Amino acid sequence: MNKKVYVAALHEKGQVLQETYETIAFAHELNKGKIALLVLADEDRILPLAEQLARKTGLEVVGLKGSFLKEYCAEAYTKALFSYLKGKDPAYVCIPHTAQGADFAPQLSVALGACCITAVEAQERESFIRSMFGGKFRAEIRACTQGAVLTVLPGAWKPYDKAEELPGEISIIAFPDEIISTIPQGIRESAHKNMALSVAEVIISAGRGVGSQENIRILRDLCSVFSKSALGATRAVCDLGWLDYTHQVGITGNKVSPKLYVACGVSGAAQHLAGIKDSRTIIAVNTDINAPIFRVAHYGVVEDLTTFIPLLIETYRKRTKG
Amino acid sequence: MKILVCVKQVSDSAETLRINKTATWIEYAEKTVFRMNRYDEYALEEALRIAERYPDAVIDVLSVGTERVRSTIRRALGMGAHHGIHIMRDEEGYVSAFERASLISSVARNRNYDLILTGVMAEDDMEAQTGGLTAAMLSYACATNVLFQKSTNCPVEIYVEREIEGGGRECLTLKLPAVLTIQSGINTPRYPTLSHMLKARTAELDIIDACALGAIRLPGVLEKIALTPQGGKGEIIEGSPSGKAEKLLEILHRHSLV
Repeated sequence: MNKKVYVAALHEKGQVLQETYETIAFAHELNKGKIALLVLADEDRILPLAEQLARKTGLEVVGLKGSFLKEYCAEAYTKALFSYLKGKDPAYVCIPHTAQGADFAPQLSVALGACCITAVEAQERESFIRSMFGGKFRAEIRACTQGAVLTVLPGAWKPYDKAEELPGEISIIAFPDEIISTIPQGIRESAHKNMALSVAEVIISAGRGVGSQENIRILRDLCSVFSKSALGATRAVCDLGWLDYTHQVGITGNKVSPKLYVACGVSGAAQHLAGIKDSRTIIAVNTDINAPIFRVAHYGVVEDLTTFIPLLIETYRKRTKG
Repeated sequence: MKILVCVKQVSDSAETLRINKTATWIEYAEKTVFRMNRYDEYALEEALRIAERYPDAVIDVLSVGTERVRSTIRRALGMGAHHGIHIMRDEEGYVSAFERASLISSVARNRNYDLILTGVMAEDDMEAQTGGLTAAMLSYACATNVLFQKSTNCPVEIYVEREIEGGGRECLTLKLPAVLTIQSGINTPRYPTLSHMLKARTAELDIIDACALGAIRLPGVLEKIALTPQGGKGEIIEGSPSGKAEKLLEILHRHSLV
């Protein structure tokens, strides 16, 4: 491929995100040739960020600098990236599929007149593979335009890890002040952080398959079998009001790393799986053999949790008595 | 205040779905049940709450699809939306987010909506693009993944909070007109009322032929869709239920967990 693949290098609090390095790995797989990293920030942050990227990857880094880029907003990022990319004829523009990346990628694609393919989890000869229908089906999508904008699913690639001796070349481009109509007003921390979940050794987690708020009690009973245990939940369960959002496990909930994670009635949406992947042992109980959770579980039980979990508890109690 | 809510009709579950003969999309079964995309339901409810603040507000609800999507448009009217728009397609089959957004923006372009609300993604294709593409095509401001909004200063501007990784919130104020894509859990959607549903049943829908909206450039092509292969590195425990319970306890014991 002769053209360059560009990667939008997203960052937070002065640190390049792991998802950015994963996206760089994807770009490298696509095009082992020319890759350029684009990082957007204001005067204070641009050089440290560019240097982080250049040292870690050895790749070419272009810093897009502007005071309107001090805080993220889709309008600012779209304007700056479009301004830079419009004459460049990229092969692809790759962006991590984070809350920010997914926010501006479609708008950037329209500005560039390019196709946009989101949440890419694999690729084969430039046919991009992404999940649909909760993970039951996978689609292969090919871009019909040049310079397609691709967003890369977090966790689908290992972070780019090339031990380069020389840091990559850095160039900084200063943008004149853009008038943007969006007013960023800061970040508020989560109100649902749950220390109990973060330190729990065993997490028993409820998915929509639990069926009702009443059935949560079955999972609480299972919790009591283990010491240092806590009750978790998928976002769907919290949306339904069966459990408080402090129990939510997943990308926008709590990230956990227990010794044991028991997923009960959890289908296994990508965002939930991303939050549990550091668990040492994952057990899934679900009536649907095709549920995506079974692809990551170490052990799976295809049973109805409302009968199986009580049976499991009873069997345990018989054993410990005898 | 003029508000547009874009809703999608999706299958209630993936259970009855199969791949079609050409492997270019899924095939619905006779018994497939359809309903409104969950995220669009939250969007509609949020629109209804904004409208409660502005007595002269009008909510149009729009859906793209074959004739079957009319039931979802009518349900939206049942929840309290005022007018229904159906962008009618003749055939089933994959419709990309780009095509959807092109159709929506063609219709919305001259109708001067202050706000366009839609769900952050569709439960079926999970592309999470339609809102952003529509905003860009209309040159509207846009915020995605919205978990909170304050509309006290419409139609000038709106304050929103977007959900980000770790559960934090990105706060911003957008100048109207704007597109908001809505995340689940922002509110509790209301049930349709009997009186609204009765009116909805006979309400005249604005039916627009998708073909009449002009040629849509398709920038990407879905080449193939297939069942995702199962098979991770894990073990499915076999046996009778009590046999599985015994085996599982054995495993937990081996891992020093019980």
